[in-house]
Amino acid sequence: MPALELDGLTKTFNETRAADGVSLSVPRGSMLGLVGPNGAGKTTSLSMTVGLLRPDSGTARVLGVDVWSDPVAAKRLLGVLPDGLSLPERLTGGELLTYWGGLRGLGRDLVRERARELLRVLELDEADDKGVLVAEYSTGMRKKIGLATALLHAPRVLVLDEPYEAVDPVSARVLTAILRRFTDGGGTVIISSHVMALVEQLADRVAIIARGRVLADGSLEEVRGSDVTLEDTFVRLVGAREVGEGELAWLSS
Amino acid sequence: MAVVLIRLKFALMRHSFTGMRVLGLALILLGTGLTWYFAVSAANDEVRSELLCLAFAVWAASWALGPTIANGTGVLRSQYFSLLPLDRRRVGALLLATMFVDIGPALTLVAAAALVWHGAAFSVAAALVAVPAVLALWISVIALSRLVFRALGAAMLSRLGVEIASVQWGLIMALLFFGWMAVQPALAATLALRANGLGEGTTGAVLAALPTSWPVHAVTATAAGAWGPALGWLAASILLASVLVVVTSALLAPRVTARGMRRRRRPLGARPLSRPARSLLPDTPLGAVIGKELRQWWRDPWRGLEVRASLWAGLFIGLLTWSSDLYSSFAPFAGVTCAFMMALSTANMYGHDGTALWLTVVGQRPDTARADVRGRQIAILALGVPGALALSALFVGLTGAHWAWPYVLTGLFAVFGAGAGLSLLLSVVALSPGVDPRSRVDANDSGDNQVQVWLSLAALPLLCVPTVLAAVFLGMAGTPWAALPVGVANGLLVALWLGWIAQRRLAGRLPETFTRIRYGKEIALQAVPERGSLLDRLERTAITGNGETRPTGS
Repeated sequence: MPALELDGLTKTFNETRAADGVSLSVPRGSMLGLVGPNGAGKTTSLSMTVGLLRPDSGTARVLGVDVWSDPVAAKRLLGVLPDGLSLPERLTGGELLTYWGGLRGLGRDLVRERARELLRVLELDEADDKGVLVAEYSTGMRKKIGLATALLHAPRVLVLDEPYEAVDPVSARVLTAILRRFTDGGGTVIISSHVMALVEQLADRVAIIARGRVLADGSLEEVRGSDVTLEDTFVRLVGAREVGEGELAWLSS
Repeated sequence: MAVVLIRLKFALMRHSFTGMRVLGLALILLGTGLTWYFAVSAANDEVRSELLCLAFAVWAASWALGPTIANGTGVLRSQYFSLLPLDRRRVGALLLATMFVDIGPALTLVAAAALVWHGAAFSVAAALVAVPAVLALWISVIALSRLVFRALGAAMLSRLGVEIASVQWGLIMALLFFGWMAVQPALAATLALRANGLGEGTTGAVLAALPTSWPVHAVTATAAGAWGPALGWLAASILLASVLVVVTSALLAPRVTARGMRRRRRPLGARPLSRPARSLLPDTPLGAVIGKELRQWWRDPWRGLEVRASLWAGLFIGLLTWSSDLYSSFAPFAGVTCAFMMALSTANMYGHDGTALWLTVVGQRPDTARADVRGRQIAILALGVPGALALSALFVGLTGAHWAWPYVLTGLFAVFGAGAGLSLLLSVVALSPGVDPRSRVDANDSGDNQVQVWLSLAALPLLCVPTVLAAVFLGMAGTPWAALPVGVANGLLVALWLGWIAQRRLAGRLPETFTRIRYGKEIALQAVPERGSLLDRLERTAITGNGETRPTGS
């Protein structure tokens, strides 16, 4: 049984097909990188996978549990980091994690213990000591506290939308170490990203999505085939617009 | 550049044409008609001059308060332009310039032009002086409108500012609800205005001193041949317009400092995790929601504005009623009125939270919706009840009307209970997202809630009917305290009942509720059946009725 299965997820917004029968299967213990150009339907597909957006058709399963027919059981197994959404802005990082753990029914002592550790590892403990509110966090700090909320309840499958965006190189190393430990322990990760090199370095599986459709899906080697880099594969499948000789000449004048 | 901005403004407006704008234009059209009617039909020159002073004062007040009451976000928000390689002040001035190009300001100019007619009744010279005077007046009024709107937005950055904005809002609400006590005699007099003018008295004297009357004085003085005073009044009008333009341009300039409230200390109630825990709340999802809500209500300027304005409105309504002869017996009920206002202003809680609702959706457990709804109910009661009780004690004490205690307490229980039920139901069903919390700037950014307000105004009294009947009949029977259990039962039952409907609706439609916030009107409408239940129809009404105040695409 795959850890995460996207099964024909389809969504239409105002006659635009944002996701068109998106099907993916992520085996347990692996990390899948979901790549695609802007507006390809990555966020829409992931939103439908984690229960934030009801699909027009299709469904998603987490360790065999259907997200849309048994949401409560599926969401217990899922850890989610969405991109570009608000948080309870007027809480400190510690308060946010305490609230979130309480809402998930984790028990106060356990939440405190884990939250302290997460804040320390993600280097948010100093901000918490100073009483900095989430509203005052930088973009990178927001990503990190979002990641802490995704990890707090020790999920089995992580769905992370652009987790490395705006995160500094040092924190990115920490993040990578966390994700590796997670998959080594049998956890499964799906991340979306624009950065091919990152996905190539991190993920053992890749899916390329464009215009709402999955163009390629498999292990990194399978998808790459005879191409040298993942970027070459991406460009071959999605198509790239070359900048012609005469175009934008004024930029170098 | 100004032309580019004006084009942008109209392009943005084409995508967000709302009923509120139509209503606003209708009112402006009516005002223009009335101004000219007064000018043309006044009995003599002196009456016309007084009537124009009155009309211009009303124009200025309407422009100053209208945009704030109308719940709109600015169309062109200054932060869009913070990266332009232009002087910030120049951007501010350009943004101000775009304000003048619209149907409303054009009609206002037409109305102000009644002053030229006034001048022409005397002489050519008076009519000529009226032209710059009209322009100065027009510029002052439109600039003032933006000034008030932006000043409120700037106020959201400091605790004192929020408090001042709350006082302002409280006063506006008090006047909207009980202002008729003051306005009624004035309205009765309006009918006789055309013939008699304002006559001698304080109103006339105050009106004559207002800056909006200076252009009228300039024209009147020219007509009398007093060139010195005429030029003086004209110069004063132009100076005022210039000052307003400079100040408003500065306020409209994009801010480049950090966002968030300026703060020197740790926020109240924030304990770092590194220190030992201390909590009175139960270790359950319900306790977690109560803790989060209390902190958010206390710290979020947009939420704080709602609660504080209700408290101030209660205070002002108490003072207004207390100072009037006819209605002073209502003064002890200031606390009950405050509870009523609180219910109106808390009826868009999920709109306040914006996309932060994802946490509740993703963390869904069997009891999540219940904890979320009940926790919010408990939090607003914990915040609202002490203030309303204090207001009640204050005004019962001031008026010495101790007979009112049983009625006041009965009323508080009923209104707070019914209000906590209704506000949660409307928060879920009639949810109206504003600008997402991360990018809020102006006082109105937390979402348009006119549908909730109108529905609450009608529904809340209905939900309290059993208590009102019990209080009236048991009061007449000489046992007013016997109504207290009815009030308690009424409040409790409605809070439980409507809260239960709200939590079931929320639990069943968590992703749809999130979609409403995240993806906007059109996509939200696809998720609500057209001929569905009463709640579905209510939701459709709210989605179409409330203005969309999201400045960004997705």
